[in-house]
Order: sequence, then C-alpha cells, then structure tokens
Amino acid sequence: MIVPYKIKFSVVIYILLIAAVNIPQTIFAQRFSHPSMGGGGGGMSHSAPAMSRPQSSPSFNRPVAQPQPQSRSINGGSQNFGNHNFNRNTTVNVAPRPVAPHPIAPNPTTVRPIENTTANMHRNNNVRENVNVYHPGNVQYHPYSYHPYHPYHWGPSWHPVGFFAASLAANAFFFSLANQQYYYDDGVYYQPATGGYNVVSAPIGAIVSSLPDGYETVQVGDNYFYYYGGTFYIGVDQGYQVVVAPIGAIVTDIPDGATQQDINGESYLVYNNTYYEPVSQNGEDAYEVVQVN
Amino acid sequence: MNKKLFLIIIICVLTTQLQAQSSNIDTVAISILDNMSVMIGEMTSCSVTVNANYDVHNQELGLIKRSNESQVYLEGPDKLLIRSEGDKGSRAFYYNGKTLIYYSPDKNQFAQIETLPTIVSMIDTVSKTYGIDFPAADFLYPTFVDDILADTKNLVYLGITKVDGKECFHIAGTTEDKTFQFWISNDAYSLPVKVVIVYTKKELDPQYEAVLSDWKINPVFPDALFEFKAPPKVKKIKFVPVSKK
Repeated sequence: MIVPYKIKFSVVIYILLIAAVNIPQTIFAQRFSHPSMGGGGGGMSHSAPAMSRPQSSPSFNRPVAQPQPQSRSINGGSQNFGNHNFNRNTTVNVAPRPVAPHPIAPNPTTVRPIENTTANMHRNNNVRENVNVYHPGNVQYHPYSYHPYHPYHWGPSWHPVGFFAASLAANAFFFSLANQQYYYDDGVYYQPATGGYNVVSAPIGAIVSSLPDGYETVQVGDNYFYYYGGTFYIGVDQGYQVVVAPIGAIVTDIPDGATQQDINGESYLVYNNTYYEPVSQNGEDAYEVVQVN
Repeated sequence: MNKKLFLIIIICVLTTQLQAQSSNIDTVAISILDNMSVMIGEMTSCSVTVNANYDVHNQELGLIKRSNESQVYLEGPDKLLIRSEGDKGSRAFYYNGKTLIYYSPDKNQFAQIETLPTIVSMIDTVSKTYGIDFPAADFLYPTFVDDILADTKNLVYLGITKVDGKECFHIAGTTEDKTFQFWISNDAYSLPVKVVIVYTKKELDPQYEAVLSDWKINPVFPDALFEFKAPPKVKKIKFVPVSKK
C-alpha cells in the first residue's frame, strides 16, 4: 500500500511531538489497587492506562473515606486498623469468639475487712501475720477452706511464666504495648529473648481476638470476666482485654508457678502478684481472689 | 444410576470450585500490616530511599532489568519531593499542596499541573489521570491494609527473616494477577523494608522489587525543599493524560 508523502510526514511529526511532551510514566511504581480512593493503581508498561476499579469490592465496616480535616499526618492517619471485613468466602486463622454473656467492665466494689489479727510478725518471707485480707461485700462470702495446691496446665500449648520456647507457632499474634513487644498464642504471652522467647505475664490492657477452649466465665457480683491460664479478661469489641484479677473472683485452677504464703496462719497461693485464698464452692475445691494489705 | 453418578460428579466439581475460590487470610499478617499502617499514619514527615529494580519486556530479548534509586521526602499533609536517578536518567517531582512539577535535569524540561491538596489524593489522581506512579506509594494509602484485603486471595505470615542484616516479618500474598511479598521491620517502627511483586498474568511474569532504606521519621524540612526553582533556559512541556494517548 502506498502512503501519501503528506500523511507519512504528518505521522512522523505527530510521533515526534508526542515524544517531546510525553512524561515517562513507569519510572515509579504504585502497584496495588485502592478502591477506597475511587480507583487508581497502575501497571508496569508505558502504555498501561489507569485502570478503573470495579465498584463491587467488598464493603468494609467503616464509612467511605471522607475528606479529612487538616492533619499534619503524611496521609491523614491509618483508616483500617483493626477493622477488616471478613464477609467473604475466606478461611481466617482466628478462633471464633464464644458468645459472651453480659460483657461488662470490671469494677470491684466496696470491700469489707473480715480478718484483722494482731499475732506476732515472723521474719520468714512466706509467713505473714497481722495482715488484712479483703473480700468484696457484694458477693457471696466463701470462708477459708484449705486444700492442697495442684498446679494446673491448660493443655500442651500452654506454658507457665518463665518457660523458654525456641520458636513460636506460625500463627502467633504479634503486638506492641507500652513500647514492649509481645507475641500471643493460645492464651500464652511471649517476649523475645536470646535464642527464642520467654513466657511472660499477660500485660494489663492487651487485647486479643480470641481465647482458647477451656476458658472459664467468672461472675463477680453483676460483672462477668473470663479466666484462662492465670489471666483475667473482659469482653470488648475487638475481643478480650487483659485486666487485673478482680477481687472476689472464684476460679478452680491455679497455674504452675504459684507460691504458697502463710497469712495469719492460713495458707494462700500467690500467682502473678495476685493472692488466692483456698475456698470451697458447691462442695468443690476452688480459689478466691482476695486483696491483702 | 447414570443420573446419580452425574449428580455426584456435578457436586464434586462445584465443591472443588468453591474450594478454589476460598482464600486463606492470616490474621498475624494483617496485624503486622496494621501496625505498619498505624505507624505511617502517625508520621508528620519522613524521608526514605527506595532502590527499585523492575522488568521491562523486550520483544527480542525477553525481560530486561531496569533500576532506579529515589530519595523520597514527605511532609504532611501536602508536601512531597522525589529525586530519582536510574536507567532512564535523572528526574524529580515537586509537590507543595497546589501544584505538581515534574523536572528532568537531563533534558532541562519541566511540566506543571494544578492538583489536589493532600499527598495521597494527589498521588491517586495523578496516577489515574497521567499514568504516573510514585515509588512505594501504596504503603502511604491510609486504607492500605483494607485495599490489600479487597483483592487478596491469600495472605500469609511466613516468619522472620533478614533483609540487609535487618530482622523483618516476611509476608506473602496472591491476587488474581500477581503474587507479592512484603518485608516489614521487626522493631519499634514496623516500617516496610522490601517489596517484591510478580505479575503472573503478564508475559514472562515480570517482577518489581524495591528496597526501602534509611528511613527518617518526623524530620524537620525547610519549606524551600519542596519548591521548584526553574533553572535558566528550562523548557516547559505538558503532562499528557493517558486517555489521550
């Protein structure tokens, strides 16, 4: 086919003009689609057009991104932290949250002293006398009822504080709290150590998405807590939050690692700075969280 | 009997298809990316060096590896400077909340457009309209994790590994048209250190790889850093929207 000279010349000039004004497009890389911004995201080739985003993206449990008030942040602040929609056909590696009755923030109420002896003090660290032991006034009173301590293990995945692990399960959950790094796996909290990880006490305030099977629901007055592995939790929107052991809580099992302490001539257990008084509940051996001053 | 067999086969095929469509999302990976996203969202300024290598398809030679190094400076909410050196020469982008300027020192040319008032909205609009992308800009999106989850079929935490001696969380994922891997620093800042993407739907599976290093968090930049000063005899050219090409 013979192309007229004028057309050839025009095409050449057009190509040269395009080259002159064409800004190179692929020197940088924005590689993922961002449907929340209404589109965007490119490919690698020079000729890749800006791709329109399908509007059928899964909806998220948050409002569509709105213009942010003037913020000094370089991007206006993260808008997806802890709020992801899993309403797709996915397998999510998180245990389902059990139905929680009355998740209520703990608020140990008024206490009343029930013991106040004036016996002589001994110098032995495991023996304390002339000590006040408090029980909350809004719960059924359980008298002291000694029974021997049998350290409890919550299955093969659970380890007591101080246990060293060379590695963690692939699904261990990492989080930071108060500038400390933690890993959470099956109700156990770890911190990095030389050559591996040490089991540590659960940090107060930490929130985990699920608790392993075997947790106890503990009622203290009108409030409900969850107990697993020596740690108490309350239910929150994101899952379960570690809280201080509520005074008056009754549990049946105390983890390995508790120490025995004589208080006013009676034997108590101390675990993670929490005092447990041996009691009997419905004819069964149990322990009550008490406050000791 | 034939009808029953047929029904069983249909059920098996449907089940297989459903399994193929299901995906595996690792909440550990999400948690790591969330931490990173929060950290980036709380920065008021930063700078980072991005060393990128990417494949370009050549009809005769297959995939050719190209590279460039970019110095990226960001000051929230509306200032950006990128200076890049690489196989395609030197170039820079200046953004001050009102205009975006592209400058080529090699050709002594610049182009200028009025644009949106925040860094991410500018990047998103310029990318859509002109096909221009910015180094590792995906990490800047405040909805980065949600956006990843919107497309991702699989997202897995692979463990801890090292990148240039720096301990990192290693995450991998797949979408319909690519596989990707992130390395996020295992330290107090949880910042992206490396990204690798393989485009599985393109011929010869081209790759993109970028290493992000020398992060500086919340430095103080002079405003003049983000203002373009036209050198003598510089020629003005135009940005061309992709739809007109």
